[in-house]
Amino acid sequence: MRRAERAAALLAFAVGAGAAVWALWPTDVPDDLELPPLGQADVASAAHIREAERFETFLRWDYVLAEVVVLLVLALYAWRGHRLARESAAGRIGTGMLLGMLGLGILWITQIPFGLAEIWWARRYDAAEVGYLEWLLGYWLGLAGQFGFICLALAIVMGFAQVLRDRWWVAGAPAFIALYVVFAWSLPWLIPDDRPVDDPALAAAAQRYAREQGTDPIPVRIEDVSAYTDSPNAFAAGMDASRKIFIWDTLLDGRFTDDEVHVVLAHEIAHHSREHIWKSVGWYALFAVPGTFLIALATRRRGTLREAQAVPVALFVFVALNLAAQPILNVVGRRMEAEADWVALETTDDPTAARGLFEQFTVVALADPSPPRWSTLLFDTHPTMLDRVRMAEAWRERSEGRSHP
Amino acid sequence: MSDRPVRLLVTDDLERSRLTVFFRLLLAIPHFFWLGVWTFGAFFSAIAQWFVTVLRGRPVPRLHEFHIGYIRYATHVGAYLALAANPFPGFLGAPGYPIDVEIASAERQGRLGALLRLLLALPALFMLVLISGGGPSGVGPYWVVSGGIVAAVAFLGWFASLVRGCMPRGLRNLAAYGLRYTAEVYAYVLLVTPVYPSTDPRLPAHAGAPPSHPVRLDVVDDRRRSRLTTFFRFFLLVPHLVWFSFWGVLALLIAVVQWFFTLVAGHPASPLHRFLAAWVRYQTHLFAFGFLIANPFPGFTGTPGYPVDLELPPPGRQRRLVTLFRLPLALPAFVVSGALGWLLYAAGIGGWFAALALGRMPSGLRDAGAHALRYSAQVNAYALLLTERYPFSGPPVEPSDDAPG
Ligand SMILES: [Zn+2]
Repeated sequence: MRRAERAAALLAFAVGAGAAVWALWPTDVPDDLELPPLGQADVASAAHIREAERFETFLRWDYVLAEVVVLLVLALYAWRGHRLARESAAGRIGTGMLLGMLGLGILWITQIPFGLAEIWWARRYDAAEVGYLEWLLGYWLGLAGQFGFICLALAIVMGFAQVLRDRWWVAGAPAFIALYVVFAWSLPWLIPDDRPVDDPALAAAAQRYAREQGTDPIPVRIEDVSAYTDSPNAFAAGMDASRKIFIWDTLLDGRFTDDEVHVVLAHEIAHHSREHIWKSVGWYALFAVPGTFLIALATRRRGTLREAQAVPVALFVFVALNLAAQPILNVVGRRMEAEADWVALETTDDPTAARGLFEQFTVVALADPSPPRWSTLLFDTHPTMLDRVRMAEAWRERSEGRSHP
Repeated sequence: MSDRPVRLLVTDDLERSRLTVFFRLLLAIPHFFWLGVWTFGAFFSAIAQWFVTVLRGRPVPRLHEFHIGYIRYATHVGAYLALAANPFPGFLGAPGYPIDVEIASAERQGRLGALLRLLLALPALFMLVLISGGGPSGVGPYWVVSGGIVAAVAFLGWFASLVRGCMPRGLRNLAAYGLRYTAEVYAYVLLVTPVYPSTDPRLPAHAGAPPSHPVRLDVVDDRRRSRLTTFFRFFLLVPHLVWFSFWGVLALLIAVVQWFFTLVAGHPASPLHRFLAAWVRYQTHLFAFGFLIANPFPGFTGTPGYPVDLELPPPGRQRRLVTLFRLPLALPAFVVSGALGWLLYAAGIGGWFAALALGRMPSGLRDAGAHALRYSAQVNAYALLLTERYPFSGPPVEPSDDAPG
């Protein structure tokens, strides 16, 4: 591209991205909302906070170290990995797939100690029931999925690169966005061991909340996970016709009151009613375009992704970019979660249950109610439990202001 | 393989008496009893031999002779049952039976090897079950029904011998291979020899060379195996298995079309022939990679040039009658192919551990697996109308200058 064309393309992308951010950024949470000054002592006992801090600190550092090793290993692989092409008798794309899979395979091996350390630590705190061998087997089987996925991705990218050379990203980015949509859309059917809700009150609440949030009824399913874990969870999946809400049976085992479960339900419905899954497609697209472009740029010296030799470099750049984008995606994620909390408060009118839910979560999940800022920045896809409690209290103040003018 | 401790002697002329073939199993009843008695004696004398060898490093020569006689006798009975030989065997294991073994005994043996003999023999015993269902012993009828390649051969050979009055050379040689391996395992377990049993399929020249076949397997593999790709071998197949299933469905449809065409025209259609040839070749490459018969990651198109490759004939005239009954005619070959498939699995599993430890594939396993691949390719080529030549199941033979003097 000539310089003028390049500048024009960059400008067009910047304008488009700006418009997209402008459309995706706002939430229902009032801009002038002031969170009351609560401290972590207000949401958990001192003993719990001490234990949770100890518990989470280890996991945090385990994770950070693991990521450092990931980057080191992939950097080494980007440097020397192309030599493994000698183990292939396949053509360009086949050899590329082999190099991609071997890169992930090597990575997989290096991550075993960190995974085992995490299990060991979690077992010490009774936060995991999974055995070491069981975990290793699951981890091993997971690798098959990773191999399948990277082969699909490389078939797309390298297929385009055979024709478009280093401009493959022009077709590659839309292809990945389309794949993301397909995956997000079909996710509800990929969930194993799910069944309909058996509690009529919960089903009725789901109908009511959906109506109040201005959306069509959304099917609620119970996912049986208590055999593997006792940590409580729920999530929203699918888009449009495939929308569903999944509640783990661990949330319904009596540790949470009905009102607290209803807050979770309203929160998940809010993810759908506020179109969070479509919005995450938008955010993904916003990152996929420059991301694929940067990968194309970085692999030029190895002959672009037309050649298998470029795959190790592409893998490194891809993982590094993902890691770099994580803090930004976390900010986006936390905004959506805050919006879902806010809409749930508006729907249930029950800040006491919301607060109870978050406090109980803190206890059950052995969560640090207010982790260090750097950790939130790097890892947290949800607001801290302390912030969520503070939002519930802020909502209470506002609603009291509204009903007693 | 003249350096092997067990040498196979084949003087059988393939002629079979239909009468004794028909009653073969019943005629063998006295031998079952006698073999049972002999097995009983061999079991206890082997324990004595084991103590002596572990303590002195030298087995007792008398017991050696007894065990060699036992192995010879068991081989004769096995050959009689598997229809690898015609005459009713004697009860003393005397030399001279049409399928016989010569066993070189070792007077000195390492004490550690002797001490751990049974433990070390486990992989070989595992192979033995696959090849001959454990071998002929006092529980003869058990052996007949327990599967294994020799049992499959006996089953098919029974029909063939009744119809034709002679045993097909391929089946006879396959049985002879199984009997030799059985004898090698017995000789190892009974401390006759410290040499580990080899699954090397090559037979001595006097077993009769296989007829030239239009479907040939070319092996230019140097037995080096990358430990990395060996470790992940199973999962590296993921993209191939997806591709394999798509291609397989298509190949099946094309084969049906080809069948009609060949039936009408008297010769296969060239483009379809090319397509099916590429499919059979791809299958060979893929299985060679998957079962560690070759090292590099194969391509997806079945293009020639892989270290374990297939030579396939061009389309030629085919008799319409043979075409019409192609599938029923192929049925026996599929049975043998299924039995040989176990050999492939054994080569893959055994080879996986060996290649991880040594970085090389043992030649016995590699060649045994290659033989199974060759036969499977011949069966596929026959079923998919690439050739009307019937598959030949016999293992390869040594060049004739290596014949026993
Ligand atoms: Zn949420």
